Order: sequence, then C-alpha cells, then structure tokens
Amino acid sequence: MAAAITSSRELDDFEAVVRLHWLKVFRFALASLRDRHAAETLAQDCFFRAYKARNGFRGEASIGTWLMQIAVNLVRDHARDRRLQFWKRARLTAVDMNTAARWLPDAGASPEAAASMKEQVQAVWDAAGSLSERQRTVFLLRFVEDMDLLEIAAATGLKEGTVKAHLARALQAVRERVKGTK
Amino acid sequence: MIEHLSAEQISQWMMGERTPQLEEHVAECPECRSELEQLETALVQFRSAVRAAGHSASPPVWRATASHGPWFSWPRLVLAAAALLILVALPLTWRARVQERAAEAALADSQLLERVDSAVSQAVPEPMEPLVNLVTWNASPAEKNQKVQRQ
Repeated sequence: MAAAITSSRELDDFEAVVRLHWLKVFRFALASLRDRHAAETLAQDCFFRAYKARNGFRGEASIGTWLMQIAVNLVRDHARDRRLQFWKRARLTAVDMNTAARWLPDAGASPEAAASMKEQVQAVWDAAGSLSERQRTVFLLRFVEDMDLLEIAAATGLKEGTVKAHLARALQAVRERVKGTK
Repeated sequence: MIEHLSAEQISQWMMGERTPQLEEHVAECPECRSELEQLETALVQFRSAVRAAGHSASPPVWRATASHGPWFSWPRLVLAAAALLILVALPLTWRARVQERAAEAALADSQLLERVDSAVSQAVPEPMEPLVNLVTWNASPAEKNQKVQRQ
C-alpha cells in the first residue's frame, strides 16, 4: 500500500518520470521495431498514454513495469497494423538500422575479439528478428531490460509459465544462431 | 560417453533456474560450459549494443504545461463559464428574434386582412360610387321621375 502511494506520488512529477524511464522504453521500442523514427514515436506515445492514464495507476506494479506494459501493447498494435507494413519495409531499406553490431561499444578489445563479438551480437540480433512478436518481446524484456519472469508476466499480461515457454523457444533460436558463429 | 545438456536445460540455465544437477554437470563438462559461456557472452554483448544504441537518443522535453497542476484553475473556470454563457444566450437571443419576427408578420397579416375585409364589404366598387348618388335603388317609378325632374 505504501509502495502504491509512493508510486502514485512519483507520477506527480511526470517530467522526472520521462527522464528516468525514457531510455528503457525507447530502446525496447528500437529493438522491437528496428526503426529509430518509429521507436521515438512509440516511446512518445507510450508516455503520452501513461500521462493521460496516470490517475488510474494503482501502484500494483512499479512505474517502470507499468510503462513497459503500455510499450508492449503499443509494439503489438504496431506489428498488427497492416497499414504500416509497406512503410516499415520501405523505411528499413531506406535507413541502415538493421544491424546491431555497429552499436557495440569499443571496449579496447583486440581486432579479432572485436570481430568475434560483433559477429555474435549480429547473430543474436538476427535471431531476435526471426522470432515471433511475443517471443521477441519476452526475450528483449529479459535479456536487454533485465526484467525477471514475474515482471515480464506483468508487462505482457501472460502467465509466468507462458513467459517461460516463449523465452525457452527464443533462447533455442538464439543459441542455434550463436553456435553458427564458431 | 557424457550426455550433454539438452536445449531445454540450456534454456533453463539461461533463465536462471540452476539446479544442483545442472551445476554439477556444467562444472564437469567443458563442452557444455563453453557453450553456455559463449551464449552468455553473446547475450551480454547484445544487451550492451542495444543499450548503447538507446543512449544515443535523448529524452524529449516533456511539456504538459496545461496539466502540471490540477485540472481545476480559475482562468479555466472563467473560460468555461463564458463558453457556457454564450451557449445558453445564443439560442435564447435567436428564439426572441424569431418570436419578434413572427409577431411583426402576424400584425402585417391582420392589417392586410382588415383592408381586404373592408374592400370586400363595400357594395359598390370605389370607382362607381358617384353613380350611386344618381340612383335610388328602392324608389318607385313615380319617385324616380320626381327626382329626375328636381334635378
């Protein structure tokens, strides 16, 4: 109860909420949609919806989980919106965003090690791209956002067992791709 | 021959569900350990890459000026009252104007009817009235002769 009140009060300073959670929502959208412009639009939409619905926030989950719940729904709507399919394809070909390896920070590794890392990152990125929308969502929430299974269940509206099943399938697909980089 | 971890067991391990049996096998099997390490490293690098990509975007400035405070505010109330007043006054003014026009039309109609009535009620049309003075309709032929002689 006390946590719920605290969370509700946190929403009073919505500017701070945006500052605190923007990156998390944006990068989830970016990894899901693979389009920077669409990810920015989705993240803005997510916070706008959260702002409008803030009075209905009961603090049953953390603000971060609540925001991810909205973002997950928006990603799902985006994937289902067939009217955008053409533009999604057109944008992917127009903007060179379909590679994750170039995002890898340079940690001073040897050229061989760096090349190997990039190859592995690209393998995971490709595998994530081949997953179903739900498997990808669960995978990204677990391995990019470090959310635990219960948080993922809350954000996706799935049961914990279903989350596990999706995650297991996603991991198998990723493992197959990563093994191919040896 | 050592039986290696199944795909399900590897997923279980990666999800953090590490039973003593799994840990024992990983400790004893270099192949499985190597595969798990490779997968873990790939996932960690992937997370770093996506997070790095996200960091290149800065959060937008949140401008919700109209709603930083509560929904109730005096300027907003005055505006709402003015809008309400206009909404109420406009139909009333319009209705009064319509009634006024209807009254004017009714008056004009009644005046026209009066004029028509008076015109219709005349026995002889106005242009023929001088002739009426020459004729007495109810007089006998003798009286008519006297009247003509007097004239």
